[in-house]
Amino acid sequence: MIELFGVSKSVPSGSSTLTILHPIDLAIPDGQVVAITGASGSGKSTLLGLIAGLDAPTSGRIVIDGMDITALDEDALARLRGRRIGFVFQFFHLLPSLTALENILVPMEIAGVPGARTRALALLDEVGLSERGHHYPSQLSGGEQQRVAIARALANDPPLLLADEPTGNLDSTTGRQIIDLLLNVNRSRGTTLVLVTHDAELAAVAHMSIALRDGRVVSQTSGTADTRIPASASRP
Amino acid sequence: MSFVLKMVVRELRASWRRLLFFFICVAIGVAAIVTLRSIIQSLRTGLMREARATIAADVLVQSNRAWTPEIRADLDQRFALAPVEARSESIETATMVRAEHGAAVARMVELRGVESGYPFYGVLVLQNGKPYSHQLLANGGALVRPELLAQLGVQEGDRILIGGKPFTIRGVIDQEPGRRLGGFSLGSRVFVDLADLRSAGLLVFGSRANYQILLKVRADGVDRLTRDVRTGFRDRFVNARSYRSTEDQIGESLQRAENFLSLVGFVIVVLGGIGVWSVTRVFVRQKIRSVAILKCVGASNAQVLATYLLQVALLAMAGSLIGVALAAGAIRAIPPSLTESFGGLAYGLTPSAVLQGLTVGLLVSVLFALVPLLDVRRVKPLLLMRGADSNVSAATQPAGARGAMSWLRRVDWLQAGLAASVGAALIGVAAWQAGSWRAGAAVSIGFATVAGVLYVVAFLLVRVVTPLAAAPWFPLRHAVISLRRPGNQTRVILLSVGLGSFFVLGVRALQGNLVSEFDVGVGRGGADMFIVDVQRDQVEGVQALLRERQDAGAAPARLVPVLRARVTGVRGREVTLENAGDVRGRGSLSREYVITYRDHIESNEEVVDGTFWSAGDPLPADAPVSEVSIEESIHERFNIHVGDEMRFDVLSRPLVARVTSVRHVEWGDARSGGFMFVFRPGSLAQAPHTFIGFVKGPDDPAARGRLQYDLVARYANITAIDGREIIARLQKVIDNAVLGISIVGGIALLSGVLILIGAVAMTKFQRVYEAAILRTLGASTRLLTMTLALEYCALGLLAGTIGAAGALGLSWGVTRFVFDIPWRPAPGLLAIGAASTMLLVTAIGVLASADVLRKKPLATLRAE
Repeated sequence: MIELFGVSKSVPSGSSTLTILHPIDLAIPDGQVVAITGASGSGKSTLLGLIAGLDAPTSGRIVIDGMDITALDEDALARLRGRRIGFVFQFFHLLPSLTALENILVPMEIAGVPGARTRALALLDEVGLSERGHHYPSQLSGGEQQRVAIARALANDPPLLLADEPTGNLDSTTGRQIIDLLLNVNRSRGTTLVLVTHDAELAAVAHMSIALRDGRVVSQTSGTADTRIPASASRP
Repeated sequence: MSFVLKMVVRELRASWRRLLFFFICVAIGVAAIVTLRSIIQSLRTGLMREARATIAADVLVQSNRAWTPEIRADLDQRFALAPVEARSESIETATMVRAEHGAAVARMVELRGVESGYPFYGVLVLQNGKPYSHQLLANGGALVRPELLAQLGVQEGDRILIGGKPFTIRGVIDQEPGRRLGGFSLGSRVFVDLADLRSAGLLVFGSRANYQILLKVRADGVDRLTRDVRTGFRDRFVNARSYRSTEDQIGESLQRAENFLSLVGFVIVVLGGIGVWSVTRVFVRQKIRSVAILKCVGASNAQVLATYLLQVALLAMAGSLIGVALAAGAIRAIPPSLTESFGGLAYGLTPSAVLQGLTVGLLVSVLFALVPLLDVRRVKPLLLMRGADSNVSAATQPAGARGAMSWLRRVDWLQAGLAASVGAALIGVAAWQAGSWRAGAAVSIGFATVAGVLYVVAFLLVRVVTPLAAAPWFPLRHAVISLRRPGNQTRVILLSVGLGSFFVLGVRALQGNLVSEFDVGVGRGGADMFIVDVQRDQVEGVQALLRERQDAGAAPARLVPVLRARVTGVRGREVTLENAGDVRGRGSLSREYVITYRDHIESNEEVVDGTFWSAGDPLPADAPVSEVSIEESIHERFNIHVGDEMRFDVLSRPLVARVTSVRHVEWGDARSGGFMFVFRPGSLAQAPHTFIGFVKGPDDPAARGRLQYDLVARYANITAIDGREIIARLQKVIDNAVLGISIVGGIALLSGVLILIGAVAMTKFQRVYEAAILRTLGASTRLLTMTLALEYCALGLLAGTIGAAGALGLSWGVTRFVFDIPWRPAPGLLAIGAASTMLLVTAIGVLASADVLRKKPLATLRAE
C-alpha cells in the first residue's frame, strides 16, 4: 500500500518559488496498475520520483507499506529501493561498462542476495534475452536495453515497480512488447505497477488513472479490471 | 564487500585505458624517487664499508704546519696514554714532476710520502697484479698513476725528477685506498718514501703540505684519543679524525644529498598528483550517471565511494610498481663514465628506496584523488530522470551577503576538512622526503602560493574576457564562451599547466644559473698560470724567465708576496672574540687565510667603506698596530667593521691590525688574485714569506710545457699550476654535476609535458557534445579548430607566463639563499618557456580533440 498525505514539491526559481506539485493525497492498494498521465511539465515524473524516494517532498508524508520514507536518509532510501522498489527509466540508464547480465546482477550483489547469477539468467530468459547476456548496452537495441532494465528492476523481486515513460523512447511495436512485459509482471507476480505515460490506451486499461495538469490532480478514474490492451489499440 | 570488489574489477576492465595517463603520472614520480634514493643509498653503503680505508688508519692526526719538536713531544705523550698499536707518518704536498729523459714537460702531481706501515687498512692495488710493499718505494722508488706515464712519455722502470731528485718508477697505481670520491684533485697521485720526500728539497719555507700521523688504535681507544687530540691541540692547528667521524661525515653529507634529491622526486610525484587530481575530477564527472544508477538500485554512498577509491588505489599501486621497474632500468642505464667518477661503486635498487617510492606513490595518488571522489556523495539518483548532471556542477549563485551566507551553507565541510587534511598530509610527506620540516613546508608553501595565484588569475581571466563573448567573430566568441561556461576547465588547466611550467622552467633556470656559475673561470687574455712557493731569492730569476717566455703583448708577470695567517681574536664594535677558541665559534673565520701586503688597490677591487692607505707610505716597522683592509664578505658575515681591531697569528708570530677599509673584490676576474685580508706594507715585509705569481702563459701548449719544465728544472721547490689544465679537470667534475642536474631537469620536463597532455586531453570530453551540435548547425572543421585553438592559446599563454614568473622567483630565491651565487634572470629562457607552453597547450588541445572534430556528429549525439 502506497499512501501520500499532502505531498507537494516546489523549487526556488530566481527570487520566487516555483511549485511543481501542489499538495496531493493518494492511496494505491497493492497489486494495482496505476497510470499517471498529463502533459509535459505537469509534474508526473516528479510525483513518481517522490514515490521512489529519488527526491524529497517540500511538504507531506509518503508511506510505503506503513513506513514513512520521507523520514529516511539517503542510504536508507537506497537500501529501500534496492529491496522493495524497482525503477524503469525512459532512457534505460544501464551501466555502460557492464554487460547485460552484470547489469542485472548489480542490485542483487548490493543487497547480498545468494544465487544471484542463476536468478539473473532466469530473468534474462524471462525478458527474452537469454542469448544476449554477455553483450554491452551499446551492442543492444533500445527495446533490448529496456528489457534488460526491466529485468534489473525485477532482480530483487520488489513488490513495487515504478516506470517513467518506459516506452517513450521506443517505436510502437517495441513499446507494445515492453508494456505487455510490464503488465505480465503485474499479473504473474502481483507487483504493484505505477507508470508515467502519455499513452491513453494504456491509461484506459489501468486499474487507476491519475491525470495531472500544472501540478494538480485534475481527474482520478478507475479503468477496466482487465489490464490486457486490445490488439487494435495504437499509440500516438 | 564482494559487490565493491566485483564492481572494481568490472569498472577497471572498461576504463583502465582512460586512466592510463593516471598511472604514467604516478610511475614517473615514483621512478624519480626510487632512482635518486637508490643511487645515493648504494653510494653510502659502499663508502661506509670503506670508511677505514678512506683514512687508511683508525685515527689520522694532521696539520698544515710541520711538526715542531714541542708538538711532537706532546703528541707522543698522548699516544702513550692510548692503546695505540702502530703508527706511521705521511706527508702530502702538491709539486711538479718531470721526466729525466723524455718529453720536456712538467706536471703538477699530488705527492704523498709514506712510511712502511702504510696503509693500515685498505689495499694499494697496482697494475698487472703486482702486490704492494714498501720495498717498492725504498731508495728512490715511486709509484705513479697511468695517466702520468702518458703525460711525461715515460714507462715503468724510467726515472722521473721530483724536486730535482731522481726517482725510479717501480709500479703503476690502479686503486688507492680511500681515494674514491671522484671530486677534484690538483694532479695525479705519486707515492714515494717519506724519507725521500723530506730530502727532495720540497719542504722549504712556506710550502703547502699536509703532515699526517696515521695510528692503528684498539677499538675502545679510538673515540677518546680522537677527542683528546682535537681538544688538546686545537690552538696549535692540529686536527684529528677517526674512521668513525669520517663515516659520520660521509653519512651526513650523503643524507643531505639524498633528502634534497628525494624532495625533487617528491615534487615530481606532486606534479603527478595534480595530474591524478584532474584525471579523477573528469573521471568522476563521466561516472556521475553510473553513480546515480548504482544509488538508484540500492548502493550506499560508502559502497560507491569504496568502489572508486579502491580503483584509484589499485591504479596507483600499478603505477608505482611500473615506476620501480623504470627506476631499475634507469639505474642499469647509468653511463659507466658517471659511476667511475664515484669510484665505480655498484649501484642497485635498495629495498628502503623501493618501499619509500611505493608508499609515496600510493599516498599521494589516494590523497589527491580523495577530494574529487567525495563528489560522488552528492550525486542524486534523481538526475536520471532529468538527464543532466546539474547536481554536481555549481548552480548560479545569488550575489551579495545572502550569496555569501548561502555559499557558507552550501560548503561541503567534510570535503573542505578533508582537503585541509590532505594539504597537511602532503606537507608531512614533503617533510619526510626532505628530512626536514622547514624544507618540506617551504616546498609546500611555494606550491600553494603558485596554485593560489593561478586560481585567482583564472578567476580574473574569466572576468576580463567576458565582454569578448559579444565579439562579432564566431571563433573568438565561442572560445570565450568555452572559457567561462558552467563546469569549465579553465582553472584546472591553468593550475596543472601553470604549476608544471613553473617547476620545469624553475629547474631549467636554476640549471642555467648553476652552469654559468661554473663557467666563470680564467678568461681569455687573463692570467692562466699560477706559480706558487717562489722564495724571496728566486723572485728575480723567475721574473726574468717568465719575461723571456711570455708571448709578445702579454701582461707582464706579477709576483705577489703571500703569507699564511689565522685570525686569533677580534675586538670590535659588534664582535669581541677573545681567543682562537672564540674565533672557532664563528665557523670559517678560523680557517687559515692567505694574506698579502701592498700599497695600492687592484683593478678588480673597489673600496666600499673606510680609506685605503696611500701608495708609497709604508707603516713604520716599529708601529705597535698594523693596518688591514678586509673583504666585503668578512665584514658582512662576521660583523667586523672599519675601526675594529683584529689579532692574527702569522706563522706563529702574533700581529695586531686595525681594520681601515672594506673592499669589494670581483672574484670572477682573478688576474690579480683576490685576498680576504690585505695589510699595509711595513712590519710584514720583514716577516718570512713566499711569492705567488699570476702569469699569462704562452698560448702554444708545447711552449707552456717547456716553461713549466724549465721553471721546475731551475727552481725545484716551485710549483707551476697550469690554470687551463686545472679548469679542464674542474670541467670534468662540473660536467658530471651538470649531467646530474640535467637528468633531474629532464625528468621534470617529461613529467610536466605529460601532465599537460593529460590535463588538456581530459577536458575534451567536455566539448565533444558541443562540437557535435555546432557541426549539426553547420560549423566547419576549420571554424571548430580555430575556436579550440584560441581557447587553448589563451590558457597556455597565461599558464606559461605565470609559470615563468614563478620560475623567476624560484631561481632568485634559491640562488640567493641556498646556493649563494649571483642570480642571472635568464629572460630568454623564460620567454621561450612561456611561448613553448602556449604552443604546446594549443597543439595538444587541438590534437587531443582531433577525434572530436573527425567524429560524425550523429554518433556523439546518440551516445549522449
